[in-house]
Amino acid sequence: MIWGSELAKISAYLGAGICVGIGAVTTGIGSGIIAGEGSFGVVKQPKAQEQIFRTMLIGQAAAQTAGIFALVISMLLIYGIPYDAAGGWFKAAAYIAAGLAMGLGSVGPSLGAGYAGSQACKSIARMPKYGNSIMGNMLIGQALAQTSAIFALVVAFLLMYSVPNQPDNIVTGRIIIKSLAFIGAGLAIGFGTLGPGTGIGFVAGKASDMMGRYPNEKSKIMRTMFLGAAVSESTAIYSLVIAFLLIFAVK
Amino acid sequence: MAKKKNPILKICLIFFVIEIALVYLSGNFSRKLEIGFSDKKFVIRHIDSEFNLQDKISEEFQIDEYYAHHGEKPTLWGSSKLYDFFDRMPFDSTPVGTFQLLRMLLIVDILIMIIVILIRRFLTFKPGKPQILFEIIYGSLEEFVVETLGKDKVYYTPYIVTLFLFLWICNMIGLIPIPGFMEPTRNLNVPLGLGFLSVVIVHVSAIKFKGAWHHIQNYINPVKNPLFLLDIVGEISKVVSISFRLFGNILGGAIIILVVSSLVSFVVFPVGLSLFFGIFVGTIQAFVFTMLALTYIGVEIGE
Amino acid sequence: MELTLAQGIIKASALLGAGLCMGMGALGPGLGEGFVAGKACEGIARSPENASLITRTMLVGQAVSESTGIYSLVIALLLIFAVKI
Repeated sequence: MIWGSELAKISAYLGAGICVGIGAVTTGIGSGIIAGEGSFGVVKQPKAQEQIFRTMLIGQAAAQTAGIFALVISMLLIYGIPYDAAGGWFKAAAYIAAGLAMGLGSVGPSLGAGYAGSQACKSIARMPKYGNSIMGNMLIGQALAQTSAIFALVVAFLLMYSVPNQPDNIVTGRIIIKSLAFIGAGLAIGFGTLGPGTGIGFVAGKASDMMGRYPNEKSKIMRTMFLGAAVSESTAIYSLVIAFLLIFAVK
Repeated sequence: MAKKKNPILKICLIFFVIEIALVYLSGNFSRKLEIGFSDKKFVIRHIDSEFNLQDKISEEFQIDEYYAHHGEKPTLWGSSKLYDFFDRMPFDSTPVGTFQLLRMLLIVDILIMIIVILIRRFLTFKPGKPQILFEIIYGSLEEFVVETLGKDKVYYTPYIVTLFLFLWICNMIGLIPIPGFMEPTRNLNVPLGLGFLSVVIVHVSAIKFKGAWHHIQNYINPVKNPLFLLDIVGEISKVVSISFRLFGNILGGAIIILVVSSLVSFVVFPVGLSLFFGIFVGTIQAFVFTMLALTYIGVEIGE
Repeated sequence: MELTLAQGIIKASALLGAGLCMGMGALGPGLGEGFVAGKACEGIARSPENASLITRTMLVGQAVSESTGIYSLVIALLLIFAVKI
């Protein structure tokens, strides 16, 4: 091999850049939506200023969780990988795929968490009396939206740490099959978390909004939110299954 | 009324002291602290070790491949007699991962039985704290069952409560810092079995309440249900989605706790991370699994 | 087993296609099901006495909108396991 050990390094650095680059886009957008709605809420209800400010900060922190996952993955891609000269094309493809998986996978969840946080700020500005229950509901909804980001993180870790080295005496066709299977796994979980993350964020936002309007129906709203979010997540789970199959079951 | 002091601060302080002591004892990455039973003796000792994240992940999550690759005798954390007994059984062999999973499941089962027997024995009209906790769990789940299935089918409650308690204790037991302890739900076989069981219960109850022929017609008769093929795939995907949801969340939490805590040298993060992934995600996922198992029944036989 | 380069490329693109198929296919159903569930939350808050009816409608609606996700799953499984080289 002409490239030798440099091949894995090149792709790891490329993957790190892709990962945190794509991941930062909607993390910023999500936090921005929350801040905007929070500022508007302070204008509408200056008495509840402290409560809205607190909700805004906590919501932004929760919306940035997926971005922090992307940061962790790219740090690990830069510093935390044993560079093995025998890694070859298998490792190279797996590192790029890990970056793609986590980068794309943090897009949907942070957008969804941003929507949930913004609706919670709006709702608290309308009903400051029920601020605590609205904020609790917002946090649970954002945590549900982040579960698909956790799936992307799992796939990225598996791609980084459990892919075998490229064996000697292997035909070129096998190399292409295995490498593209890894990239396919990254793309599957990356795009697959986009829709569910955003959808669950929409559910959580609607639930926070309604909890401010009809605070007596708290338990029923929360239960519907759990169920709806759990069912919306199922396509992300199918993507996880396909990614596992592509990593482990393709010979 | 006198203001009560908040105990959370005290607990956090105790955690910090314990963790900093542990870090001080264990030195750094190049040395590993080991506390546990080895050769029937309780030991606390340092081992010089070269820290390797990849090795650690594969040791934690792909234990059989790890020992097959490294070719050393596996650490079983003090129960080699049972392992030998399993090994001498007339089956093919007992890999370490399966053995540890079976042991954890057994521990969880015994724990549930002890809790249930204790609660049952000390049942009083003036309930103490544990009784109140379990009455809240039972009462709220019973309310959900009545809401979903109707008042005449309240006898589904014990099944739902048992499912919830089992999953909850399974997700919590990884928090106990004993070497070799892990969440049984981290292994795919446990959630898959439970998901299959819950879908089987859905169909058995549907056959019981609607009649066998009336129910099976939905899946074989193209006149009555033009999308019958899709429904069959949908039933299989129900099993897949309900079980992989639990598995993925618990596995993800375990991987994140391992990697991040080894990056920050086991000081601060594990407390917060275990709080989030262990208690919060564990409880929510146990609840979601239970509610989905209940609602699948409700869609088929609800009034 | 001998494997020519062309066969390798065929199988490899089938696998990449499987990944893309499931990834893109999960996008629409996820969004749509989230929309259904959000509206169901709104409906339950407005008329809590119809809670079980709304929950059932929500689950059936989500099952139908998930069908395209299941199509993608089937196609991805076929691409992984049924493409012979």
